[in-house]
Amino acid sequence: MNAESTASHIALLRQAVIDGQAGAAAAATRQALDAGLPPRRLVDEALIPAMDEAGRLFECGEFFVPELLVAARALKASQALLTPLLAGSERASAGRVAIGTVKGDMHDIGKNLVVALLQGGGFEVIDLGADVPPERFVAAVADAGADIVGLSALLTTTMLQMKSTVQALEQAGVRGAVKVIVGGAPVTQRFADEIGADGFADNAAAAVALARRLMGRPA
Amino acid sequence: MTSRERVLTAMRRRQPDRPPFDLSFGFSTAQLQAFRTRTGADDPCDYFGADTRMVWPGPTRLTTDFSDYLGPLPPGTTIDEWGLAHVPTSSAERDHAHLEGFRHPMLHLESAAAADAYPLPDIDAAYRYEPVREEIARIHRRNLAAMAMLECTVFERAWYLRSMERLLLDFTDGSAFATTLLDRITDLRVAQAQHYARCGADVIAYGDDVGTQRGMLMSVRMWRTWLRPRLARAIAAAREIRPDVLIFYHSDGDVSAIIPDLIEIGVDILNPVQPECMDPAALKRNFGDRLAFWGTIGTQSTLPFGSPDDVRREVRLRIETVGVGGGLFLAPTHVIEPEVPFENIAAFVDAVRDEYA
Repeated sequence: MNAESTASHIALLRQAVIDGQAGAAAAATRQALDAGLPPRRLVDEALIPAMDEAGRLFECGEFFVPELLVAARALKASQALLTPLLAGSERASAGRVAIGTVKGDMHDIGKNLVVALLQGGGFEVIDLGADVPPERFVAAVADAGADIVGLSALLTTTMLQMKSTVQALEQAGVRGAVKVIVGGAPVTQRFADEIGADGFADNAAAAVALARRLMGRPA
Repeated sequence: MTSRERVLTAMRRRQPDRPPFDLSFGFSTAQLQAFRTRTGADDPCDYFGADTRMVWPGPTRLTTDFSDYLGPLPPGTTIDEWGLAHVPTSSAERDHAHLEGFRHPMLHLESAAAADAYPLPDIDAAYRYEPVREEIARIHRRNLAAMAMLECTVFERAWYLRSMERLLLDFTDGSAFATTLLDRITDLRVAQAQHYARCGADVIAYGDDVGTQRGMLMSVRMWRTWLRPRLARAIAAAREIRPDVLIFYHSDGDVSAIIPDLIEIGVDILNPVQPECMDPAALKRNFGDRLAFWGTIGTQSTLPFGSPDDVRREVRLRIETVGVGGGLFLAPTHVIEPEVPFENIAAFVDAVRDEYA
């Protein structure tokens, strides 16, 4: 296969994901595989850049929540075909992130967007859901080996649970083994600093860049 | 001025004796308990002398069974008349709307026919507005302004039933399911708005949260396609009955991008103008000749985390920058959450009154 054809397969898949066209993304994935492109290459050169671009467009106000949701749906359509073909060694991830909305808080749209962009960005994500008590974050670090814990909250009331969660990680003796990142409408960098978090992001795309920085990779 | 005169004057953008105020959407459960223990009073609005009172439709006589739509539910779950299941969380504030989970009864439906067959409530039924008429008359006898609640007008009500992610995907896909659901909800809202207007409400409070802290949740284009025409229809319905009824619109977050549209379709009052993400003074400069502002005192910043002096400063700043010539109704930007100190609530009310005492 010539370089031009390879580039065109990759560009087609990447654009289908950015445009949120799940059917087109699946078709482009199949065509690229039929043409002999290695699955890992499609992940690295089409899917990850596509979700990065969707995140960038979100960050600069061109994309909104619905556009991210459909991009994530298209990503999943492609991943469903590619993941089974990846050998264990090829599944190496950018890092393992355990993420959830903190105890008492059920708001999960923002958290779900971060999950979608992290997955799109090559991270392995343990989605703990909403109303997650501190001990489940502790277990995700102690038992599941998360590199990063992501905490989300929508309310000033529940935001204070972020502090309890950081303290629980300290008490369990695993705080040093993990980076803690926080986000959500009322959360600020100042609050993140006060509770001893390692980072704050004010939007989903910035959360991925932050996670990459904390894993020692270029954002 | 009576409270009612003050509200009507200020919201028609003329200078009142002092800005009207209320306590927004009330106190969270823990906050209300603390208030009652501390003051011995029952109702914060009466205790603090708020200028408005809210009214809702009377209870339904329907007893719809939603179990086929909801399936098995965790203990402690309650189901409202729309079929939305309210699931308790681990929070101690179990009956606080912001601290509960939802199970969406229409999550797994697919066709427009299924959206059409779903049993919606009889919120349009005349019998439910007899108590509203009586309540508004009582409020007016006390010289207070009556605010009839039409919150979660279309979008929020629809996503409560469908789930936000599914509904936004429906919008993107241009689904007939979403069209049917939104039209059915809008039909109910049209009837509800007309009942409220006939009952003599001073203000009808519409609302759909379409803002995030960083701007619109969806593009303006999507909002204009799916939501603007339906909100416009529900507003026009009230105006048809009473042209001078005041139209209040609530959305959390930064909705600057749709303010000109809101004005075009007849919104008089924007709420809550979250100062954490919108600049009330700039909005006053840009839209103050066409729009009044209700809220502006941050429940995400100053009220929970500031001192009483900070609260007083924020009130003074708003009166100076937004209140000139009327057009300002001071209120916390949302429910007063458990972590707001009582002293800050008292400082808010005192500052509103002191300014013009």
